[in-house]
Amino acid sequence: MALSQEKLLELYRKMVTIRVFEENTAELFAKGEIPGFVHLYVGEEATAVGVIAHLKDHDYIASTHRGHGHLIARGGDVKQMYAELFGRKTGYCKGKGGSMHIADLSLGFLGANGIVGAGLPLIAGAAFACKYRGDDGVAVCFFGDGASNRGTFHEALNMASIWKLPAIFVCENNMYAISLSQELHQNIDDVADRAAAYGLPGISVDGNDLFAVYEAAEEAVKRARNGDGPTLIESKTYRWRGHFEGDPVVYRTEEELQAWKKKDPIERAKKRMMETGVLTEEEDKAIWEEVRSEIQEGIEFAKNSPLPEEESLLEDVYCE
Amino acid sequence: MPTVGIIANPASGKDIRRLVAHATVFDNLEKVNIVRRVLLGLEAVGVTRLLFMPDYFGIIQRALEGLTGDYSLKMDVECLKMPLTGEQEDSLVAARLLAEEKVGCIVTLGGDGTNRVVAKGCRQVPLVPISTGTNNVFPSMVEGTIAGMAAGLVATGKVAPEVALTRNKKIDIYVNGSWEDMALVDVVVLKEQFVGSRAIWHERKIKQVVATCGEATNLGITSMIGALHPLPPADPRGMAVKVGTGRTKVLSALGPGLIKSVSIAEYRFLDPGERVVVETIPCVMAVDGEREVEVGSRDRVELVLNCDGPLVVNIKATMDAAARRGVFRCTQGHGSS
Repeated sequence: MALSQEKLLELYRKMVTIRVFEENTAELFAKGEIPGFVHLYVGEEATAVGVIAHLKDHDYIASTHRGHGHLIARGGDVKQMYAELFGRKTGYCKGKGGSMHIADLSLGFLGANGIVGAGLPLIAGAAFACKYRGDDGVAVCFFGDGASNRGTFHEALNMASIWKLPAIFVCENNMYAISLSQELHQNIDDVADRAAAYGLPGISVDGNDLFAVYEAAEEAVKRARNGDGPTLIESKTYRWRGHFEGDPVVYRTEEELQAWKKKDPIERAKKRMMETGVLTEEEDKAIWEEVRSEIQEGIEFAKNSPLPEEESLLEDVYCE
Repeated sequence: MPTVGIIANPASGKDIRRLVAHATVFDNLEKVNIVRRVLLGLEAVGVTRLLFMPDYFGIIQRALEGLTGDYSLKMDVECLKMPLTGEQEDSLVAARLLAEEKVGCIVTLGGDGTNRVVAKGCRQVPLVPISTGTNNVFPSMVEGTIAGMAAGLVATGKVAPEVALTRNKKIDIYVNGSWEDMALVDVVVLKEQFVGSRAIWHERKIKQVVATCGEATNLGITSMIGALHPLPPADPRGMAVKVGTGRTKVLSALGPGLIKSVSIAEYRFLDPGERVVVETIPCVMAVDGEREVEVGSRDRVELVLNCDGPLVVNIKATMDAAARRGVFRCTQGHGSS
């Protein structure tokens, strides 16, 4: 792994953008400005950024209900994202989908998903398409530890394995399936162990270390593009906020949260980038200021955008 | 009361070497099975008390749950009272507690990395290291039953320490004059930016190696040492290697199925206490096979060979000595009829 200064700064900036986007979303939701539900990605930024850094334009991603970070890492437009959260006509789904249905097919982003584990068969299908077309495309599915108990997980891994599909299954193991801790919902410590049952490699990485995730994904994507088949990457991480905004989070301790905050993926990347002369304190401040300004523009854009018209209610329900 | 400690690392055996090499997968349920065999081995030779490190997966508790009926244990079993972090710090804390409890022996399940951490805290308590990692030099691929029996023979005093134990070497790492860490097997200086996924598989990034031992039968960086000149653990010397353009090239098994030709600029033996200055700055240093220490552009690093490493139970010597002493001969009312 040799990352140029430019690439490192790009990855870092994306993590910062996700953090600022999500923190602002939390604030706006608490004020009642965002309808529906939001599930935030704060604390898990390194996984989305470290994996998606390796994707080409014609690759695919299936996201989850906690999908804002994946789309930002893929280069999604924060204005359209906020507009969607605010239910505005200028949003990704014309304001009718909300957080859990944001999709951008132009980016190969097959969508966030309100159903746990639903992205897995989608990505097996997308990976099949890549292989069928022979265009060296790969398909990445993000999902959580809870989703790894769903039938879709087992079916998708099995099919991807027998057909040697160019798929990368990225389990964001944040230790909780909604409010249920991993030790209460599965009898294994590492979701990566499940790969062996389907005849594909499974590895666990420190999901709060951008560079560990980056390296693991680099090798998995290389395998997929070379025709060597799928990989399961378990990225061990932690969500700082509740399962959803408004979650009273009675199922974990403050002590546990603080311990994970000490492993902040952004701070860890920043520290090493400074040690190696890639980033200075001044440059870091400038990045945060620029990102905050970009996010404010996105919020203003959303607030100033119109609501969808009543007569558009039934538009885009079916293919036309 | 003959007491043995167990530290089983639930995290070893899952790293990126399953992608970049052909490493085996070692799941935690297999570790549970190994622990069961260790426990039965311990009890068979008279160990009456077990202390163990807790872990999130509950390796020891699960092992105990499976030992019922004819396999029920009579020994007292206690879980160490310690906070759990899920990090390697847990193994260090557990090793310190076991040393304070004056256990007769510590059985470890893990790789070189796990044993390095345990060695930092175990003081003079001997180790029985069982390999469950990937590129292991320090722990042995040994059957849990036999490892448990050997550990029990040492803890019960049935085999004398001077017969059973060997003292290993280590490498002390000093950063800017202060002791920072240690290695049991090797320190590898890499032209890398980050610790990242920890494993080493790009031979081009290796700049320097300092090792306590190395044999051609090893897997990992020490295979390079062994290919240059076999250096068994019993040899008091170490070796320092500079990797780069040179006339010597050696075939090294850097990982499972990962055999590379490495160009050697120079190599020399080290005497105990000899210092080696790290020449590539900034860098990342791999310690016992895993990238561990990130060195900044203003740091100065020195590596020192030290012969005062951990005590390790020589399983074959211990079992042979016990057999010669008749320890395994069953008397009436004891053992099989």
